[in-house]
Amino acid sequence: MSTTPADTAVEIGRSIGVSVPRREDRRLLQGQGEFADDVWMHRQGYAHFVRSPHAHARIVSVDTRRALALDGVYAALTGEEVKELCESPFFQIAPEPAAKIAEYPLAVDKVRYHGDAVAVVLAETRELARDAAGLVDVEYELLPVVVDGVAAAEADAPLLHEQVGTNVAWHGVFDWGDVDWALENADHVVEIDHLHFHRFSSTPLECNAAVVHWDPGTDTVQVKSNNQMPMFASMVIGPTLGVASNRLLFASQDIGGAFGNKIGSYPQIAALALLSRKAGRPAKWTEYRTEHMLSCGHGNERTFLDTRVAVMKDGTILGFKTRAFDDAGAYLHYEPLGAVIWSQVSCGCYRLKHLHVDYTETLTNKCPTIPNRGYSRLQHLWLIERIIDIVAHELGFDPVELRKRNYVQPDDYPYETPNGCVYDSGDLPRSLDIALELIDHDKWRARQRELGRGSGKRIGIGIGSTLDSGTNNFGQARIINPELPFSGNGEAAYVKLDLYGEVNVNLGTTPQGQSHETTAAQVVGDVLGMGPEQVHVTAGFNQQQNTYVAFSGTYASQFAVTGLGAAKGAAEKLRAEIIEVAAFALEADAEDIELADGMCSVRGDQERAIPFIGVANLIYANNAALPTELRERISLNCRHVYVPPFEVPDPDKKRGNLTLTYASQIHACVVEIDEDTGHVEILEYAAVDDCGKRINPRIVEGQVHGATALGIGAALYESFEYDGDGQLQQASFYDYHAITALDAPDIKTADIESPSPFTPNGAKGMGEGGGAPLHAICSAIQDALGDQDAIVSDSHNPWERVWWLVHSGERGEPRGVRVSAQAAASAEGES
Amino acid sequence: MLLESVAYARPDTVAEALQLLAENEDAAPLAGGQSLINVLKHRVASLELLVDISRLEELRGIAAAPDGGLEIGACVTYDELDHSPEVRSAQPMLADVAGHIEDQQIRDAGTIGGNCCLSDPTNNLPPLLVALGATMVIASSGGPREVAASDFFHGYFATAVGEGELLTSVRVPPLAAGASAGYSTVAVGADSKAIARAAALVRANGTIEEARVVLACVSPIPARHAGMEEALRGRAAEPAAVAAAAERIGADLEPLGDAHGSAEYRRAMARVVARRAVCQAIGNGGPQHG
Repeated sequence: MSTTPADTAVEIGRSIGVSVPRREDRRLLQGQGEFADDVWMHRQGYAHFVRSPHAHARIVSVDTRRALALDGVYAALTGEEVKELCESPFFQIAPEPAAKIAEYPLAVDKVRYHGDAVAVVLAETRELARDAAGLVDVEYELLPVVVDGVAAAEADAPLLHEQVGTNVAWHGVFDWGDVDWALENADHVVEIDHLHFHRFSSTPLECNAAVVHWDPGTDTVQVKSNNQMPMFASMVIGPTLGVASNRLLFASQDIGGAFGNKIGSYPQIAALALLSRKAGRPAKWTEYRTEHMLSCGHGNERTFLDTRVAVMKDGTILGFKTRAFDDAGAYLHYEPLGAVIWSQVSCGCYRLKHLHVDYTETLTNKCPTIPNRGYSRLQHLWLIERIIDIVAHELGFDPVELRKRNYVQPDDYPYETPNGCVYDSGDLPRSLDIALELIDHDKWRARQRELGRGSGKRIGIGIGSTLDSGTNNFGQARIINPELPFSGNGEAAYVKLDLYGEVNVNLGTTPQGQSHETTAAQVVGDVLGMGPEQVHVTAGFNQQQNTYVAFSGTYASQFAVTGLGAAKGAAEKLRAEIIEVAAFALEADAEDIELADGMCSVRGDQERAIPFIGVANLIYANNAALPTELRERISLNCRHVYVPPFEVPDPDKKRGNLTLTYASQIHACVVEIDEDTGHVEILEYAAVDDCGKRINPRIVEGQVHGATALGIGAALYESFEYDGDGQLQQASFYDYHAITALDAPDIKTADIESPSPFTPNGAKGMGEGGGAPLHAICSAIQDALGDQDAIVSDSHNPWERVWWLVHSGERGEPRGVRVSAQAAASAEGES
Repeated sequence: MLLESVAYARPDTVAEALQLLAENEDAAPLAGGQSLINVLKHRVASLELLVDISRLEELRGIAAAPDGGLEIGACVTYDELDHSPEVRSAQPMLADVAGHIEDQQIRDAGTIGGNCCLSDPTNNLPPLLVALGATMVIASSGGPREVAASDFFHGYFATAVGEGELLTSVRVPPLAAGASAGYSTVAVGADSKAIARAAALVRANGTIEEARVVLACVSPIPARHAGMEEALRGRAAEPAAVAAAAERIGADLEPLGDAHGSAEYRRAMARVVARRAVCQAIGNGGPQHG
């Protein structure tokens, strides 16, 4: 396994691009982090949720008397009571009719998925709360269940939310270019009946947790949690609880992995707030693993029907048409934003001009979906990579050459996609060449031919080309619902020079392993001419202490742009102030002041110098020595909000620049399939990353490794499946096999740097990885299958599914794919 | 999930343990706790009393007879099986299988007795002990009794150990001249649930003289497959003959399907692992872990 070593020798002011050691490791590795479950409040009680064992049922009665009778049980809340206590249901992002969904912190009248919360109990100990919750008697009347995201859209499907009148949460047609023209004029049309992207999640090591205290003295609500997007949580639950945002005080410190999943803990936090108010005590909740798997949120499941791809004889792919059904589960948490977010990467890595996606998002009796690493884009990128490989497989193109022919080319940047997104920079063909070299492509291609049939083994080579779009334009929400008052993006930072000349950085982000303390120190240190070790970074979100904007948090691959852009801007403001004070003190021109190693000196005369402590002293404690104008204007406390250059997208045409940066990940792998068992062994694996200017290469590589491991896990092992009664089949790690080190191959990594012309440091957001391993492994399995075998039509390929694929040809099963040659046929007819 | 409140006792002798088990209706012995505690946490079962036998020296020894026969205390851990010179010498497959159960932390705690007494059909050791012809020694107030491994497993979480009784040791007879064991698994991941397992004990001398083939995960208990055993007897000890014999495994198996594998897949995998286990035993095929 290749790993970039830490580099401790750093030239002052030039740490960007150097793998300085992580600042946060000492604290985190020595058990000195502060995670949500470490938070303790005086008089706190422990909360336990009562969750539905049924997927769909009317709540006939909830009786908490037996629970409350236990000594040490403080309080209990039911859905009915919660409804009375709330000002309103949670606000919905969706337009009508799904805007009518009335979701409360606990289920009211009905439960809609296996794991839906019907009551919550607060008790003196965690064990007692668990036992008391077991004594809450709930009577259910079972209702019919729908667990299929496509069937849910049918008129006779059981309705989840009666007042909505349909299970369709959102429907829209995305139509760019002229796909009908493309299909009519293509040499070949490849038809793919059914493709399915499965449900999984990133299963962070730390589950959700929160301590919530409704303080009766100040009438403020303290929320100390590991929610990763606290301002979104605040926006959703504030109106529901009837608490103004300046009294809803969120704080998120260290987080043990989140991957988007921890955006979704706001219903529980709202329930805990009400429970705390009722009990007159702080309410502490630490989610159990099974509870997490049942109800925290799963990644989006999506089915693509009747995909038709227009291909020319030379391999040029003109575009495609498909019907997408996204299964959002029982409630809309952050959804239906996923219904537009995929369109950030509408054409994937390719110059496809004609796209038509008929997109339906449905409600089913399953756990609500929540953003999960690669949110909504990886499903679409997987579709496009499947299209490429299936086209290659059906029409006899080399998958490498087909990709290179259709890739956006290095000269094309900035490249505008059919829906108005702008790919900033990159070199996809070179990235692919490097990846193929790392896996020794030519050797394995030869080995594959030698092996032939009859050996019991098959070799397959796979490629996953993918984009990590970062820094959202929240205006894309208006494509979902034109009424939404959201657009743009931003992040705030606060940099100050403290009393004795120390530099401190305050961020509004919620890092979960992305090393914000380290990289912010690098960026600020470089601006101020100091080593990163001299810069102190206060990481974590604290509404009372940090500066923030409504977008603050850590999600959607954006810190390197938004967070570091804000830190850089604030540091530059501070630098200007320091220079101005130093210029006064040294009786020099500001242009002649240089900063180095905590000193301000006059260029060409090192004897004329003042240290940062001297500058700080003049502002903080010696201001009578300064002219009035200077001392009233300069504070050495500088806030900056980085705002990316976005405009409001066009909701009618569903067009606009939806994201600022596009990192690319090109993965390649070699697999060996055991025909007897379907076992897939990864023989070679390579990941080539291009995220523009890397602030800290070792941190980038760590995220590449993480995204790769999660993607391989999802491709081969991890799946959330429901039976026909809506029972989750994988509700613990007994049944949900999260990938371990034993399952993961050695990962070879390489990188190229195509700096973004649009960002403060040339950096791009990265870390989500775009699901590249899912694409690459499906691609490799497809490559291993012969001409007569089925196509890989599911993103999840455990041994059994691969075994069925390998043997499907023998069974004469329909392959689910056809080629027609409309233009070619008519051309031949004419000649 | 959390354990329900349960009483705990740590007796100093096997006799005391037996007394505690006999006197308390809902009592169960606790050895390594790697399965039982999870069963209790999931509230699949409920107990009044846990009798911790994990530190009883009487249950922690491995005794080897000069002929290679082993008597293994019920509380010997997987890691101890793996690293015991006696086990490695007399029954290398037993050491090898124990050394590949889950992860090191589990191997440091989980015991041979617990692995058998929980009688989860996916457990690693039961099919191998049946193949090796082991004898299970059970203590009770009436004195010890012996049960063949092939009669020990009664069903999901049910064994020949009755109320108030305790499995104290497992006796593994020496390998006969020319005999060798094989073991093969198809599992979800490297250290996760088994979908199909087989253990084999084959005595061969160019020709297969006797074969035991035990299948697991495809029925509630590990079970010898008489049809395949019969088809192997007298045949050449070579892969083609083994593969032909494995074809005898078929409609007679009625495995359950679950989230990890359909019934049809399990049946097909039973043939594969049976073939591989026998091939490994006759020296054709590498180690098959999982």
